[in-house]
Amino acid sequence: MRRLSVLDQVKRDRVYLLLLVPALIHYIMFRYAPMFGVAVSFMDFNLFKGFWGSPWVGFKHFEAFFTNPNSWNVVRNNLILGLYKLIFTFPAPIILAILFHEMRWKKYRRFVQSVSYLPYFLSTVVVSSLLIMLLSPSTGFVNKALISFGYEPIYFLQKAEWFRTIFIASDIWVGAGYGTIIFLAAMAAIDPQLYEAARMDGAGRWKQTIHVTLPGIMPAIVIMFIMSIGSVLEIDFVKAFLLGNPANMDTADIVSTYVYRLGILGGSFSQASAVDISMAVFSLLLVYTTNRICRRLGDTSLW
Amino acid sequence: MKTNKLTLSSSILLLALLVSACSGGSGSAPEETEPTEPAAQGEQPEQPEQPAEPALPEEATIRILTENSTAWPPKEDWGVWKWVKEETNITVKQELMTGPESLALAISSGDMPDILSVFPSEVSKYGPQGAFVDLSQHMDKMPNVKAFLDAHPGVKERVVTPTGEIYSIINDGAGEGSQMVWFYRDDIFAKHNLQVPKTWDELYTVSKQLKELYPDSYPFMFRHGIGTLDTFGPSFNFYPEIHPDPADPTKVKFGLEDPNAKTLVETLGKFLAEELIPPDWLTMDYKAWTQFMSNNQAFITVQFIGQIEIMNNQLPEGQHLKFMPPPIGVGDKPYLPRGGTESYGMAVASTSKNMDAAFRYLDYVFSEKGKDIQSWGKEGETYTVVDGKRKFNDNYKEPNDLRIISGIQTAATYGWFDFNAWLSLVKESEQEAYVEAPKYRHPVAYSRAALTPDEAAAVAPLNDQIWKFWTGEVAKFIYGERPMSEWETFVADLSKNGLNEIKATYQAALDRQIANTK
Repeated sequence: MRRLSVLDQVKRDRVYLLLLVPALIHYIMFRYAPMFGVAVSFMDFNLFKGFWGSPWVGFKHFEAFFTNPNSWNVVRNNLILGLYKLIFTFPAPIILAILFHEMRWKKYRRFVQSVSYLPYFLSTVVVSSLLIMLLSPSTGFVNKALISFGYEPIYFLQKAEWFRTIFIASDIWVGAGYGTIIFLAAMAAIDPQLYEAARMDGAGRWKQTIHVTLPGIMPAIVIMFIMSIGSVLEIDFVKAFLLGNPANMDTADIVSTYVYRLGILGGSFSQASAVDISMAVFSLLLVYTTNRICRRLGDTSLW
Repeated sequence: MKTNKLTLSSSILLLALLVSACSGGSGSAPEETEPTEPAAQGEQPEQPEQPAEPALPEEATIRILTENSTAWPPKEDWGVWKWVKEETNITVKQELMTGPESLALAISSGDMPDILSVFPSEVSKYGPQGAFVDLSQHMDKMPNVKAFLDAHPGVKERVVTPTGEIYSIINDGAGEGSQMVWFYRDDIFAKHNLQVPKTWDELYTVSKQLKELYPDSYPFMFRHGIGTLDTFGPSFNFYPEIHPDPADPTKVKFGLEDPNAKTLVETLGKFLAEELIPPDWLTMDYKAWTQFMSNNQAFITVQFIGQIEIMNNQLPEGQHLKFMPPPIGVGDKPYLPRGGTESYGMAVASTSKNMDAAFRYLDYVFSEKGKDIQSWGKEGETYTVVDGKRKFNDNYKEPNDLRIISGIQTAATYGWFDFNAWLSLVKESEQEAYVEAPKYRHPVAYSRAALTPDEAAAVAPLNDQIWKFWTGEVAKFIYGERPMSEWETFVADLSKNGLNEIKATYQAALDRQIANTK
């Protein structure tokens, strides 16, 4: 049989390929085209003269960023939040999914699952306002409860050391339920015969989880892990911005809030863009390294 | 299949219901309110007189970028826009700002509205970049603007750049309404026979007494977080960051270097430790403030002057707020920040295709007639003349209604405001604050001379750095996380965060401004 040429293949599959077009347009317009914007970090960008009229200045803005003591505080905050996200937020949906999986009363399980999805659909602005209200030392419910138990009220949002805990805990509350979907799907794909075999060998519920469920969803976990490494430095700007105030700035000021202040409010677009690119390069390195490590250690990797 | 069809049809039904509900809601609401307004205003006698007026200039439409305030939600059918149309034949389409980044986004979009509401700091940032028209080149088209600037040298000084351009014109006349003042619950003070505090020490004492009487309260309350230091500072003879030195206004001063700043911060720390101010003073919002003020949980406060009347209208019978002279921090004179001026202004986009209409608009709002109409509205429509005095119609109950109903005194709707229009709606019993507040103005304003584009670019990251440093540390001092004994170290560390460069830059700008005005 004659092998079809690429052109013939395209011709044959044209209807299916057409389905790709919207996604392609989206990526070109909103993901690739804006990348040319990174050039402003090598310019003294003039908002009005725009891209073609602004003078090139080389690495000036990168140097300014790397020599500014303030920027290290910001980068550190970002890294620590990213690390916490990985340690605490990433495993949360996996643990929750396993718990759901082990739940035997189907109706109750479905109810709990649905409830756990709900916070995901609240906007960050609403979540942040809720946090501010609940944690207020003068009017908040949490402190009122603490006081009624005889404890001193805690100035949650006025203390730099509380910011990370609040940020990560609320991340888990918002995202864990929704995050279980992918792992539950992976569990559904596990062959029930494996569980039967394990039971025959005398494995209890715990052993079944360790030796059947976990290995069964391991590929999904690894892929999700690599992908979350890529977004480890993408900390939710809105939440950090809304929960931040001068008293917790030491830990709450992250790269995106810094970039917003510097670029959009301060009008130093070039500098803001240089900061952002430095972080993006760093993210790329992280993903690349993780991918290599995963490939070396196991069979699963992104590429 | 059956269930699928059912869900499909029910979702279509739901969608249809939603669409009709939405369109019904937005469509019918204005229709309901519109007819009632003219009815309440009665006949419109000027209609027949119209033909006697000179012919209107050519018709034009311009877009204006204005504020979006929840306290006076912008409406397309505001009187202020209608009167502009009647007087100048210009149809105004307002575009709303959604946040502090809106202006930057409007400029970078390449499709700027013709006129933009701007603050001086934004003008100095984007004006020299070429975003706004240099109005000084077009004064021949705006005789009223020219006359206004010549008659108001204070405004002119603030809008002319170091190199002589005029990228915006700052509004004038309504600044009295945006001053920050002190007020207190005079009924509570009278009830317990308490003395109105004259100094910060007395403020502390009386707050302690109030706390004893009302243990659940935070007697002294404010809601602008660290920004409130702008209001407190003048009692201690400083503003937090760069400003002209009151002792020698030709020199710049960084307020936190003043030893009196330490006294203020220390005092606030004492207030906080003894729960005389709320523990979340940094994050208090308007709603929380209102709640505390109206529930006998706070008795002394600083706020915009107009809030006294708004709050008094909300308080239960028998409760009352009254203007309080600012307590003295140091020295022997009580001071408020130097207010009374405005900071919002208008710029014309350099890309505007309707530039002539934009100039015509500016010229109208800065004309005598424009001032009158954009402040008072029109006779018969918004006010009537009783015994030779103008009286707003009954639907305007308090000054803020001018904004809510007609858009009067909102951003970009006026140039030169007649504050008597505002005052005429302030109850006589509430007018005292407006009379008293100007007596306490600090000798210098919290202002900085204009920078050149290069200076501004160089100083922007430093300004952010030092702002982050001092606000964070001052908050720590107030919360007691850092002992006051380290204050001198903090002041010394300011220079590590670029203070010297910042001071030098603004000093150069101030020197230049002084030389230019000589």
